[in-house]
Amino acid sequence: MGSKTVQDILYLQATTTSPTSEVVGMRIIENGEISDGPHDPDDWPYQTVLEAVRDGWRIIKFPELALMLDDSRTFGLGFEFILEREGRL
Amino acid sequence: MRQYDCEPTLNDTEVLEFCKNGFMMLEGVVSDEINRRTNEYLEEHDGMEPTDILDEDWFMDGVIKHPAVAGALRSLLGKDFGLPNLVSNHRIQCPQPAQEWHYDGGDIFGPQLNYIQVFYYPQDCPRELGPTELLPGSHFLYSERDMTKHLGRIRGSYHAVSPAGSIFLTDYSIWHRRSESWGSGLRNNVKYNYWRTSPPTRDWVIDPDFDPATADYTFKGPTFRKQFQDCYDAAEMYFWLRGEHDKFKLIGGQGWPIPGNRNDVPYGVPEGI
Repeated sequence: MGSKTVQDILYLQATTTSPTSEVVGMRIIENGEISDGPHDPDDWPYQTVLEAVRDGWRIIKFPELALMLDDSRTFGLGFEFILEREGRL
Repeated sequence: MRQYDCEPTLNDTEVLEFCKNGFMMLEGVVSDEINRRTNEYLEEHDGMEPTDILDEDWFMDGVIKHPAVAGALRSLLGKDFGLPNLVSNHRIQCPQPAQEWHYDGGDIFGPQLNYIQVFYYPQDCPRELGPTELLPGSHFLYSERDMTKHLGRIRGSYHAVSPAGSIFLTDYSIWHRRSESWGSGLRNNVKYNYWRTSPPTRDWVIDPDFDPATADYTFKGPTFRKQFQDCYDAAEMYFWLRGEHDKFKLIGGQGWPIPGNRNDVPYGVPEGI
């Protein structure tokens, strides 16, 4: 582990605004490297947003609820949480 | 503009399945001989748009007008559907990282089906050669195209793993990407569009037992949207294809077309169907 601090980012798309709802999509930036994570959803590191929080991730963006107010349109994949934690290069 | 007509091959249930999923796979329908000739042609014409392959009779008859493909297209796009006039080849040297999620530019989201995007694999495409990854049901999942680029793994995605000669038909709006590959070698993925030239009407294979009042409009995977929206959208698209979009109405609640173990037909079934 080096001494340069970097921001790790975790994108999690969930089925609802609740941090306990099931994660349906993920991507992670860790130590400056982008990864989609394991192929099988059962092997993803976190099945809920709450699990990620318990593992030290901090939520820096909650789902954009204003985008969900138009009944006739959907805007993207589920309810997106963006989380960060400190990494090192 | 070249058109084609033939007998439809899909029935009501199969048309509705296309509405729900947004794609249909026809596995290994093209003959080995045509696959071989196609691969040879693409070796000699290795650009991104080998459209001149449409001037080859063997390709037109063996791929573009293949009876299984044309019958499905005739069912979904109606009589005298328009034939492709542009061919792309997503030819890659494996291994490659996954592409970003996207739907193709020029799309108009909605229940209408005026064109169908088709992908053809002239060689085997196992998981390690990066088959197209599709998100079933996403043809109803509106998002600004460039707001999907940060997405990664998605639960319920479908990898079009298939043998040589497979062709899959897609709603143009469906989210897709080239999946990551870890094998080695060249992989061709030939893409082209067919077009509607006649108004939609229910002239596919009629199933006398199919009842739109009680049909199953439910999508079987994650929908990423509010509950039952998948049923509403699939039903609306099915009605559009029947040429009866003007009859499509929703009353909400537990009414048609959401599923339920009822002892009678649902409330809210559109009149006159």
